[in-house]
Amino acid sequence: MLKYILNRLFHSAIVMFVISFIVFFIMFKAGDPVQLLLPPDATQQDVIEMRHALGIDQSFIKQYEAFLRNVAKGNLGNSFVYGQPALDVVFERLPATLELSVLAMIFSIIFGVPLGIIASIRPKAWYSKAIMFLSLSGISVPVFWTGMVLVLVFSVLLGWLPSSGRGEVYLFTSAFTWDGIKHLIMPVLTLSFFQLALILRLTRTGMMEVMMQDYIKLATAKGVPRRVVVYYHALKNSLIPLITVIGIQFGQLVAFTIVTETIFAWPGTGKLIIDSIQNLDRPIVVAYLLIISFIFVAINFIVDVLYTFVDPRVRV
Amino acid sequence: MKRLTVAVAALALVGTMGVAKTLKVGLASGAYTMDPQAFNETATNSILSNIFDTLVRFDENIKVHPDLAESWTNPEPKVWIIKLRKGVKFHNGNAFNADDVVFTFNRIKNWKKSGFKGKVSMIDKVEKIDDYTVKFITKKAFPVFLRKLTYVNMLDKETVEGKSDEWIGLHPIGTGPYKFVLWRKGDQIKFKANPDYWAGKPKFDDLIFRVLSNNATRTAAILSGEVDIINRVPVVDVNRIKSNDKLNTFVKPGLRLIYLQMDQFREKSPYVKTSDGKNPFLDVRVRRALYYGINEDAIIKFIMKGFAAPAAQFHPDVVVGYDPTIKRVKYDPAKAKKLLAQAGYPNGFSVVLDAPNNRYINDAQIAQAVASSLAKIGIKVKVNATPKSSFFPRTAKQDTSFFLIGWASSDGDGSSMLDGVVHSKDDVKGYGRYNNGKYSNADVDRLIEESDANMNPASRVKEMREAQQIAIVKDQSIIPLHYQVDIYASSKKIKFVPRTDSRIWAFDIK
Repeated sequence: MLKYILNRLFHSAIVMFVISFIVFFIMFKAGDPVQLLLPPDATQQDVIEMRHALGIDQSFIKQYEAFLRNVAKGNLGNSFVYGQPALDVVFERLPATLELSVLAMIFSIIFGVPLGIIASIRPKAWYSKAIMFLSLSGISVPVFWTGMVLVLVFSVLLGWLPSSGRGEVYLFTSAFTWDGIKHLIMPVLTLSFFQLALILRLTRTGMMEVMMQDYIKLATAKGVPRRVVVYYHALKNSLIPLITVIGIQFGQLVAFTIVTETIFAWPGTGKLIIDSIQNLDRPIVVAYLLIISFIFVAINFIVDVLYTFVDPRVRV
Repeated sequence: MKRLTVAVAALALVGTMGVAKTLKVGLASGAYTMDPQAFNETATNSILSNIFDTLVRFDENIKVHPDLAESWTNPEPKVWIIKLRKGVKFHNGNAFNADDVVFTFNRIKNWKKSGFKGKVSMIDKVEKIDDYTVKFITKKAFPVFLRKLTYVNMLDKETVEGKSDEWIGLHPIGTGPYKFVLWRKGDQIKFKANPDYWAGKPKFDDLIFRVLSNNATRTAAILSGEVDIINRVPVVDVNRIKSNDKLNTFVKPGLRLIYLQMDQFREKSPYVKTSDGKNPFLDVRVRRALYYGINEDAIIKFIMKGFAAPAAQFHPDVVVGYDPTIKRVKYDPAKAKKLLAQAGYPNGFSVVLDAPNNRYINDAQIAQAVASSLAKIGIKVKVNATPKSSFFPRTAKQDTSFFLIGWASSDGDGSSMLDGVVHSKDDVKGYGRYNNGKYSNADVDRLIEESDANMNPASRVKEMREAQQIAIVKDQSIIPLHYQVDIYASSKKIKFVPRTDSRIWAFDIK
């Protein structure tokens, strides 16, 4: 196990090194950020001075070398725009995004899995058909539309929920205060619709497949109660693909909350990264992508470990 | 019923007496830093103007008024003596005096990453005469001196000296009407009233700026009453907000001109295709044909939904140097075609029009409209609309033949655009950095340089107008399109004052 973990860590380090190089190179090629940092009435002399102060008048190799030296000291450089250490800027925004993604994922699992099971047991029943119809709309309706309709109904027309912002924050999250929870409801719902529908459909397919297996028939024939057959024998065996997808989807949620964050003016990393790309703020873009790739790597690792618990045949 | 009325009356009384008054402002973009000398950008400047004072300040119509400077004299062309306001305190209790002024100017001059260098570059020396008198010596006679000072926010020397740039970027301490409370990046910035403000206690106890960059979100926030003011009201939502009887809308002409510029320096331009292989824009008749051939009224009506003012010159009428005699020509495609034929292009030519797609209001759509207008006079225009991150670095390298761009005369003085866009590119003298079509006319250069150092307001404006007559009417160095307007919405519970400089200055809001 230890060897496995070390091996994985080594691979992750290589992945992140490659990512840093690619991103650094793309941002280097993208253009001169000083043209955006200085107002139009600055002179060419100001442009040259600022380029020098930011160290972007050097060759690509020199700049990347300086970057690596700083990384060795745990420093990803200062943001060109915010003037603060890039890691600080990203970490300050990360809790807002993680909070949204984690809650949306929990919500999707709590509702998606049971609904999927219900829809799989009697696929022809009217409620199964209703569930499947709703899940189809969850997959096909664009997030932007869902979000705006929620805002229109619950904020503008009814005035029940705040349309935007994060509300009161306590211990890095808004989930502990009533004001914070009110701000969370709509963004979390918006973000979960697609995930919920996806998890629901996967659960259903997986369950229906497993329910056809011989061992399920055997268990039923032996007189094992229906509840035990469904929730123990069948569910456990349909979990592997579900866990894989949930892992991938969680990474997606963290990395692509941008639309939801935009609609609800949620101060997460999605908005930050778009702004930073538009401003050619290289240190932020590099720091963000390194952190996100680290999260992806970590999720993959956790998913692999979870497999061994669900299915003893799997060895890491 | 009676009991209810009493209860309501009692509640109303409590409402006016006890509860802290809060002003919530929804902004299309937020601050990037709390250091008032780092990033010179409208949203950041707007927010920080509530914390920091300047020596002189613009009123809502960009007229200069005393702020921390009580009075000033200009005994010699290059010398300014400024008397400072006495008894002013920073938010941490330190007194404001001449040392702070000297320190502030030197910090901008010496800090390589400051975006405000252009505001102080003409100042050679700042000297303290006594605690409340400061002497400025400029490199040349400098008529725009006071207007430039409106961008220099006063820092406290005792607080800031020796601190890192990162620290200053998070700890704003000024002398203004509001004190810093917290900044949750991308979400909100909270200020509270400074009861000791020299001009009196502000009307609102708390001032909250919220970042609502999505247009629909901003509209939803004002409709649902979550904020009291929003800026940059999306034009599609104006009627919806107008029909709400709790809200007011405001339209304020802004300072930004949207214009087209073209390659006026290369014999062969990289993105133009003509029958003779030459650069057609070198011929003034072609440039004038573009001016006649663009249906600006249609752009304003259909793309800007009426929220823009047609432009005929470099700056709007509130700006010093505006020339009332320069009028926009009437849209005349027949005349445009004739001019093209005279220039030797009866069948037109084809060209790529570069434009940003996330910088100005409807920038990419305006470029498309220009293209379809010019198609009617035979010029095939291919629009290349890209994000500002690629557009500006490209135009700075003149990697373009024809481009749509904007300029805001943020000093309220015509010299900024004349220096930056009209004067020939001259990196040594610091002129023409934005003149990326490289228009060049020696007479215009001379007039601009003379007017830049002319302390007589009347003859100075005469020189500026003379330069503009040549650069616009005679040479058609740019094609002006329109001036942007700022649209705001506010709750009827407050009295909002829109400003020409696009800032939200809460002290004037009642």
